[in-house]
Amino acid sequence: MPRYYFDVRDGDGAFIDEVGVDLPNMDSAVKEARKALADMVRDALREEEGSEISILVRDGADGPILITVSLSTDSLS
Amino acid sequence: MTSQIIEAAELLQPMFRKLQQRDELGDEEKRAIAEAADQRLVFAPGDDLVADGSRPEHSTLVTSGFTCRYKMLPNGSRQFTAIHLAGDFVDLHSFLLKEMDHSVGALSHCTVITFPHERLVTISQRFPHLTRMLWLSTLLDGAMHREWLVGMGRLSAAQRTAHLLCEIYLRLAAINLARDNQFNFPITQASLADAVGISTVHVNRVLQELRHGGYLAWDGGMLDLLDLDRLKAFAQFDETYLHLVQEPR
Repeated sequence: MPRYYFDVRDGDGAFIDEVGVDLPNMDSAVKEARKALADMVRDALREEEGSEISILVRDGADGPILITVSLSTDSLS
Repeated sequence: MTSQIIEAAELLQPMFRKLQQRDELGDEEKRAIAEAADQRLVFAPGDDLVADGSRPEHSTLVTSGFTCRYKMLPNGSRQFTAIHLAGDFVDLHSFLLKEMDHSVGALSHCTVITFPHERLVTISQRFPHLTRMLWLSTLLDGAMHREWLVGMGRLSAAQRTAHLLCEIYLRLAAINLARDNQFNFPITQASLADAVGISTVHVNRVLQELRHGGYLAWDGGMLDLLDLDRLKAFAQFDETYLHLVQEPR
């Protein structure tokens, strides 16, 4: 199985993944990233850190894929 | 004593230490446990010690290594409900509940001793205090489940991870298997993710956060809690639930 790396950027800065996870293909890597984002958003919303969380999924073969969640607080008046 | 019983007594030391942290054990009680021991079994990482849905006729005591109590969901995801260490009876539950409603798996190489249920019946008939001590050990399991449940609902992933590491260190230190804020923790990040209830990707991020924060170093299996007091404060860790107090029970 190819190894995928998940670089996370959030309110605390950028975390480059040097370990990676073995997964069957890019589709499952993207699913894994989405699950991770769900966990991270849960914590970020409570801790009010940062307004955007993104995960860059990369491997040796395919081009990297970037998944981003934006958390915004807008006044509507 | 036969040589087999003497060997069992040696392997039982972590369990004796665990119970003796909470109350004294008499020599007769220790001998009764050693005499009730049956088989010594060895498991490799990933093996199941006890399978969900089975009806074991013995209970299993971990004598070395790390194991997890877990549920496997139909969608293939796995959640640990506890991590068990040397000295823990992992399925004293099956003695009275009969059918397992979860599995117990090996996280590292581990050795166990089995205790046939009929011998536990004999202990419960002849040794009321020892029976209470075994009861206590399942109550400690329950106390840890409560703490994990509160963490799942109310702590962040990084706090839950920190909380778990504090818990394992204190439990190991209580049975002389860890000291100086260090312990051998040969489990994978995927297992840690299943313990904390997050994805492997997120656990990797969380560990980086804890490393960068100066809380821990984890290399080659050896985990070093660099600042235990600060880690406890971060995790809102209160060791009361481990009941590390020796008193009559």
